[in-house]
Amino acid sequence: MGGTTTAVRPTAMRAAQGPSSGTTRTQRWLDRQFVRFAVLPTSAMMLLIFGVPLLFSFYLSFEGWSPEQALFAGNFAGTANYEDLLTDPQFLQSLRVTCIYTTITVSTELAFGLGIALLLNIDLPWIGFFRTALVVPMMITPIVAALCWKLLLDPDHGVINYWIGSHIVWLGRPDTALISVMVVNLWQNAPYVAVLLLAGLRSLPSEPVEAASIDGASRWQVFWHVILPLLRPYILVALLLRTIFEFRAFDNIYVMTSGGPANATMSLSMFTYLASFVRFDLSLGAAASWLMLLMSLLLCLFFIAAIRRREAN
Amino acid sequence: MSALSGVGSRRSKLLFAGAVYLGLIATTAVFLFPLLWVIGLSLKTRLQVFATPPLFLWRPTFENYLGVLSQADFMQAFVNSLVVSSGAVLMSLCIGVPAAYAFARFPFRGGSFLFFSLLVMRMLPPIAVLVPMYILFSKFGLTTTRFSVVLAYTTFSLPLVVWIMRGFFEDLPRELEESAWVDGASRYAAFRHVVLPLIRPGLVAASILCLQLAWNDFLFAAVLTNNATRTLPVLMAAYSGGDTGVDWGGMTASGALVILPVLIFSFVAQRHLVAGLSSGAVKG
Repeated sequence: MGGTTTAVRPTAMRAAQGPSSGTTRTQRWLDRQFVRFAVLPTSAMMLLIFGVPLLFSFYLSFEGWSPEQALFAGNFAGTANYEDLLTDPQFLQSLRVTCIYTTITVSTELAFGLGIALLLNIDLPWIGFFRTALVVPMMITPIVAALCWKLLLDPDHGVINYWIGSHIVWLGRPDTALISVMVVNLWQNAPYVAVLLLAGLRSLPSEPVEAASIDGASRWQVFWHVILPLLRPYILVALLLRTIFEFRAFDNIYVMTSGGPANATMSLSMFTYLASFVRFDLSLGAAASWLMLLMSLLLCLFFIAAIRRREAN
Repeated sequence: MSALSGVGSRRSKLLFAGAVYLGLIATTAVFLFPLLWVIGLSLKTRLQVFATPPLFLWRPTFENYLGVLSQADFMQAFVNSLVVSSGAVLMSLCIGVPAAYAFARFPFRGGSFLFFSLLVMRMLPPIAVLVPMYILFSKFGLTTTRFSVVLAYTTFSLPLVVWIMRGFFEDLPRELEESAWVDGASRYAAFRHVVLPLIRPGLVAASILCLQLAWNDFLFAAVLTNNATRTLPVLMAAYSGGDTGVDWGGMTASGALVILPVLIFSFVAQRHLVAGLSSGAVKG
């Protein structure tokens, strides 16, 4: 992936001194402040909607606090919220479900996405139609997508049960419920991976592939030994993005199962949502969200380190 | 001719093309079926929806769509969605575009920290920001207003705008503004009258991608709105409460109306899709 450099270029150095002739003192002062003024709104906004809330929830996660109280009127509770979480079977279950869900959805999305991208990369007549048609699922509002599947999977009137000729209550059994929410996700996001990887495939140099095929390599050998290694940076980016997004799984689960049956589809987001906005235990919710933050930060750092290492090689 | 098809004899090329088409048609059928089936449901009468065996051929009816469009609830949610999404886009553009320009052109102290924090903001799970945001907003009387949703949406649309626009600014030749500066234009005038008009395609791309994210969001809107200010995804999710009910026609017709605008946006912005998708990934 072409890195973009932030190094100061000579022209920028020259430009940074600003216009020199025909300008007043105030305008020169204003010009010197340009960067500051340009960045100020973004910084202020981030502080307002990101910095302050996160600091507040960090504080709250060490308090016993209920919504009727004033903002800072809670009682210091030490690490009690965190201890509650780590001994709560539902939370531990949600941790397990999130890990399983993320691992399986990300790997299947990558496998399907890579397959679709390879198919879409071949220049044939009408390929444009397929390229457009196959991205449709990923555009759909996730809530609507989950509702669609809920109808398809309906035990009495769903077309899927009709086809397989049985009466499976897909969303009512722990095993099939988890599979069902994962399938919806795979359906929506395999095209996402495909679009990313297709962009990668289109940007690969053609010489190595041609050289390999002139040397008599089979299609499979070309794919395995030439294309796949070249594509690895794109695969890493897709892996990073999908892991980050699956880790926060919520919409499809909320619509299809709300975390049930028997917590079989309870993701971390779903747990935090229920704790905070259904049971209104907001200090517990704050603690859960901080644990989620730390976990996703670790995931990010891990992937960024992996990508950096590849770029360095 | 692309990578894989360049290999082999004429006969094996034909076979290969056939296999590719077969694969493409099968995949497309599998991926489009759920959506097409559900759109089919929206064009059936109540009796036809529940017919066993399911009907594959019928005379389509638009009564479900007429029913949905005459519901005050739906129209209210539609307006809310429109207001909230375009509000989020406008706000992020106004705030984020100058910052993106600064990131692209003037390396400054703390710049990389700020940029990194923007990426982190995009990467962190939304529920984690939402919990404290809800408390703070409700103490300041902001919850259940559409403005609170707009503010919440900037947590994802601002990073997206900055990311995409920075790329567009970097692709713009520097000489254009520099000559304006030499001619005595201030930084502000050069930005407004020289750079912004040239960057318009980027603004369009960024707005469409943000609009799509905002339109599709459920979590923020579910927590921060009430019955009067709820957006379309929140209204749709109400259908899923417990049972799917018996009004499959109405439900699928509203679903189709919800996704229609995003599908249109996306096809308009298809060229820029990849930039938007990989936004937040390390230096895409």
